[in-house]
Amino acid sequence: MKKNTLSIILIILLIVSIVLIAGCTQSTKQTDSNEQSAPSTPQEQKETVKYPNKQINLIIQAAPGGLSDLVARTVGGQLEQILGVPVVCSNKPGASGAVAMSYLQASAPDGYTLGYVPVELSMIKALGFADIEPNSFDLIESSNISPATVTVSANAKWKTLQEFIDYAKNNPEKVKIGNSGTGSIWHIAAASLEKATGVKFNHVPFDGAAPAVAALMGGHIDAVTVSVMEVKSGVESGKLKVLGVMSEQRSEYLPDVPTLKEAGYDVNVAAWGGFAAPKGLPQEVKDVLYPAFEKAINSEKMKEVAKQRGFSIFYKSSEEFTKFANEQFDFYMKLIPTMGLKK
Amino acid sequence: MLLHAIVQVLRPDIFIYNLAGVVVGMIIGALPGLSATMGVAILTPLTFWLQPAQGLAVLLGIYNSAIWAGGISAILINTPGTPASIAQTFDGYKLVQKGKIGLALGINTIYSVTGGLVSTIFLILAAFPIANFALKFGPPEYFALGIFGLSMMISVSGKQIVKGLIIGVMGLLFSTIGLDPMFSIPRFTFHNVNMMNGIPFVAAMIGMFGIGEVLFQITENRITKKITLTKELGRIFPTFKEFKLTALPCAISSIISVIIGAIPGTGGDIASIVCWQQAKQMSKHPEEFGEGSIEGLAVTSLANNGVIGGAMTTMMTLGIPGDAVTAVLIGSLMMYGMQPGPQMFIEHADFVYNIMALLIVGNLTILILGLLTSKLSAYILYVKDEVIWILVIGFCILGSFAINNSPFDVMIMILAGILGFIAKRMDIPVGPFILALLLGPIVESNFRRSLALSMGNHLIFFTRPISLILLVLTILSLTYQPVSSYFKRKSFSKQTQ
Repeated sequence: MKKNTLSIILIILLIVSIVLIAGCTQSTKQTDSNEQSAPSTPQEQKETVKYPNKQINLIIQAAPGGLSDLVARTVGGQLEQILGVPVVCSNKPGASGAVAMSYLQASAPDGYTLGYVPVELSMIKALGFADIEPNSFDLIESSNISPATVTVSANAKWKTLQEFIDYAKNNPEKVKIGNSGTGSIWHIAAASLEKATGVKFNHVPFDGAAPAVAALMGGHIDAVTVSVMEVKSGVESGKLKVLGVMSEQRSEYLPDVPTLKEAGYDVNVAAWGGFAAPKGLPQEVKDVLYPAFEKAINSEKMKEVAKQRGFSIFYKSSEEFTKFANEQFDFYMKLIPTMGLKK
Repeated sequence: MLLHAIVQVLRPDIFIYNLAGVVVGMIIGALPGLSATMGVAILTPLTFWLQPAQGLAVLLGIYNSAIWAGGISAILINTPGTPASIAQTFDGYKLVQKGKIGLALGINTIYSVTGGLVSTIFLILAAFPIANFALKFGPPEYFALGIFGLSMMISVSGKQIVKGLIIGVMGLLFSTIGLDPMFSIPRFTFHNVNMMNGIPFVAAMIGMFGIGEVLFQITENRITKKITLTKELGRIFPTFKEFKLTALPCAISSIISVIIGAIPGTGGDIASIVCWQQAKQMSKHPEEFGEGSIEGLAVTSLANNGVIGGAMTTMMTLGIPGDAVTAVLIGSLMMYGMQPGPQMFIEHADFVYNIMALLIVGNLTILILGLLTSKLSAYILYVKDEVIWILVIGFCILGSFAINNSPFDVMIMILAGILGFIAKRMDIPVGPFILALLLGPIVESNFRRSLALSMGNHLIFFTRPISLILLVLTILSLTYQPVSSYFKRKSFSKQTQ
């Protein structure tokens, strides 16, 4: 019995030390590379000129299988060919991407740890999840966009967006509108529509966009405000119809559907994504990295993937992307507190 | 058409890719923490340089075989290889302790394959009706299904009902950690971003079963265990009598599991738990359930693979994932240029039949491979305990880290392991805790979502037929046992008078 207790204690100690070691390697790596990049001795500069000379880690903020994962892995694969070093993608999902973005923010700005950043980058601070904003990073370039829609069941009585809004106006809080979670981008889409039209919806949050679309198909809710990409197959199968798209231009996948702007409402909400690096990337690294990303994002492979999945390529250079993300940040910082979520 | 597709699938190259998928899936499935979802997601990009049929052969092979192989580790080392095999630990490990190693492994293989085949037949014959029925499941129905599942806390507690309920409620409380499902308000997160998504389920599960079991075995008096654990493989095939015993519960379970698979967002874990409960209530020997019941192991093995056909049905007919794996598979199909939905059945009918044929062939491969490797799998019991312990601990750490690449999950896994160990030492069943952690969020979010739909009217749960039926079933399953034993006692005392 004594021997057993001893061995149990030993095993627990072993496990704890393994975890501690695993936890520590991360921070030691960081300090190591900080030391490397901080003093710019001639030898150090020589090393940075050679960038990239080892594996690049690309952090993805969502689970495998989703859009973020797909875009990041596609671009990562192209980068690998362009830069000639392995690009290893790893998923760190959780808390609307806050887990991955916090990790990226704390990584060394040496160009070897990069990340995919979605629209939540501009929302997380307003939602109160983490103290992260676009200026916490060196934004590389943006890559993709998918605008929100107003989608209803194919046999719904509304034929146009105006009919839908008129009905909602006459029946306040009667229209059940599904989104992918309170504080998610599609919830904000519905809330923006409310604001622009002066109607009141009954918001029903689901655990992601797919369950919301399923609930709409099953007739449990009246409408969803998720992206073109997520309703595309439902529309093609004749189960759903899209009344409006929340973007400046009509969607390439739904050319017959008017934008909200055409209907007279200035609502533009879209899920976008791009790439970012920890703040303070050396200029030599940027000079290599930015053109490589530009090439990867505009590659044929990306165009092919976008077409298959139903999102649009949305390339913006680093300055444009930074400006855009900050505009979005200011917009959400103003909008989200008025939605009454932040407690 | 289907026959033609099967012949097509029997091309040597496709068969080899399918076999490769099955073998990879077997390894991924048997290792705790590495799930079918992860296997399919990681291998998807590697299949793009193959033809669509070859790539799908790999992916579907992994999907089917990982779920089946998850049962192997559940049976042999009492640690579910995938979440879908939780319920297989109830009876499988007990059968091994009774020395029926070969039989347990044989049942897992035979009934997993049966489940896979039967659900594929459902997919072939009734894809659209099933999918449309699955869509009828709205928030109130999910809530009622969750409550029905939670009522099983009592049956998994075995003889320790009070202790089981206590730890079950604890599990429910733990399941409230994280962002609240309606207003996204952080609960008990202590301003830690890692806590916002709540307790990671898979990490908690493998910790509780894996680490908990290892620590328990170390402290257990091993001399007695050596005697009870004969290391003979024994017969693999169940007898005809055993087959007959399992026929009816399995027929019902296959229908239940296909439907649960087809309902978006519910998978093999919930299906096998519900089927186990169902079989126990129908059985003539309910007391054997949880003590090494052949029926219990058979229905759970069948149910978690039976989900696959259902999940594929929703995915292929509606373009909505039926479970986590099909969510990844949708992406893979789109990469092959297919848009899942009714259109696919018209425009790419040959491709649809190919998928069905691949499911059938994949399952037959599992049957042969599974029966041939039973002996090999059972060798794990010949390995010295100390080696197994270290391997299990190693894989638990690796597996829990691999889910989200997060050291936080490893920490949770270890804490859950210590909790599981303490519970086992105190003779508290851990099943209710895991059940609560799994179903708690479904019950809570759908309860509140239903009320949001009905503007706060609680009648919504009783005015909808499916939800009402499920709730009535729950009440019946809770009251049947005590009421029937009360009447038995009454008639018994009358007789004696």
